[in-house]
Amino acid sequence: MKPEVPEVLAELAQLLVRNADPSVHPADRASDLGMSAMLLGYVAESWDGRAHLLVEENRAIHALLKRGEAYVASPAPPAEDNLRLSALTAENQRLAAALITLHAAVERDPAAGDLNDAIWAELRTSTERRKWATSVV
Amino acid sequence: MSSLEPRLAAYIAGRLANASDVSVTGLTRISGGASRETYRFVLNWREGGEARERRLILRRDPPASLIDTERRVEFEAYRAFHGSSVPVPEMLWLEEGAEALDHPFSIAEELHGFEASPALLFTEPYLPHLQRLGERKWTILGEIAKADPVALGLTEVMPPPGLGACWDRELSYWEKVLDDDEAEPLPITRAAIRWLRANPPPPAQKLSVVHGDYRTGNFLYDAHGEIRGILDWEMSHLGDPLEDLGWSLNPVWSFGQPRAGGLLPEAEAIAVWERASGLKADPAAVHWWTLFNCVKGQGIWISSARVFIDGGSKAPITVVPPWMLQTAQDRATLKVMGRL
Repeated sequence: MKPEVPEVLAELAQLLVRNADPSVHPADRASDLGMSAMLLGYVAESWDGRAHLLVEENRAIHALLKRGEAYVASPAPPAEDNLRLSALTAENQRLAAALITLHAAVERDPAAGDLNDAIWAELRTSTERRKWATSVV
Repeated sequence: MSSLEPRLAAYIAGRLANASDVSVTGLTRISGGASRETYRFVLNWREGGEARERRLILRRDPPASLIDTERRVEFEAYRAFHGSSVPVPEMLWLEEGAEALDHPFSIAEELHGFEASPALLFTEPYLPHLQRLGERKWTILGEIAKADPVALGLTEVMPPPGLGACWDRELSYWEKVLDDDEAEPLPITRAAIRWLRANPPPPAQKLSVVHGDYRTGNFLYDAHGEIRGILDWEMSHLGDPLEDLGWSLNPVWSFGQPRAGGLLPEAEAIAVWERASGLKADPAAVHWWTLFNCVKGQGIWISSARVFIDGGSKAPITVVPPWMLQTAQDRATLKVMGRL
């Protein structure tokens, strides 16, 4: 989730304080609170599962990168000694960048169809992990 | 906000030659404007001994915006289609300086009493009119595609690309937006870009005005299945007419409904567009432009996140698009590529 949740929550906290001022126009207050409520709903939905999602996905991507070592040198496995979301997210970004490189290489080799399909399957699964209950697609 | 009213009145008074007692009342911000601050207000004045009033819309540039656009291009696009079969509000004034209201702005008539919300479409009394609205939506888009940008005077403000260069200009632009603004790797979008570059579409059939954001949610509709105004021309430009068709078919704009734009089966929408435009919607080319528009959509969502991250604006409107739509856009991309 970009921007990151802590930065957004800090802004929403300030926004709520500002909207406590009676001089705020009702239309502006309604707009601010409506969007704040929507964002808080996303945070609520993601809160419990976010670390699990990242650990699961980091492992899945690294397994693909190991399979593709013939195309691109496999990066280090995902670090799991620090389970802060910021640390897991940084690992996720490192591995996702490597996956893009591998995917582009695999696409150029007709003999790598199975690995290409496996990458697409993981990309599809990644959207299932992240999809909101109210997702439009 | 109230301090804006006298300044706005003073600005307009200087442009209404025969008016006196000009005042502005009821200035109210309309929520949801992501690239301009949008307000409605009532203009009151006296002219020829009579009291007059008119409902108007003020669109003012914010300090930072979801979409970087040229306000004059948007203004001229509205002006070009006003009075035509493409319904748009009348544009009245464009102010590109910052003296009057701190930021550049435009003022237009308000098309009053209609809805724009996609969510309301799927409720009474609008629900029975989805078919009719869909036919109108893609008929009007066909009329935009059919229009001659030279005759409309729009080549003066919108650079015309060569027919064979339309796709590369757009793809390169949005790829650069992604390069500049992405805050995390985007494996699905990058795969889509590679496919688009490896499988370019044919040259455009003609040079058309491209609205740039023609979708359910960006038109005003009534309870009888009529479209009363096409809004949000801020990304308008000249290009391949299939570009707008592809944006209208981007699955994120179906709002979870099994129909294009939530309104019509996709094949029917395309057939309506072909009839209205007199152009051919080659299936492979439509597929290319639909996938391109998935890339463009992702570019818009992640550049909104970038505005927040870089501090250009900390407003919640900059966070809603990336949080709500980034994964949905990825899923739309997979769907268009036959991977979902």
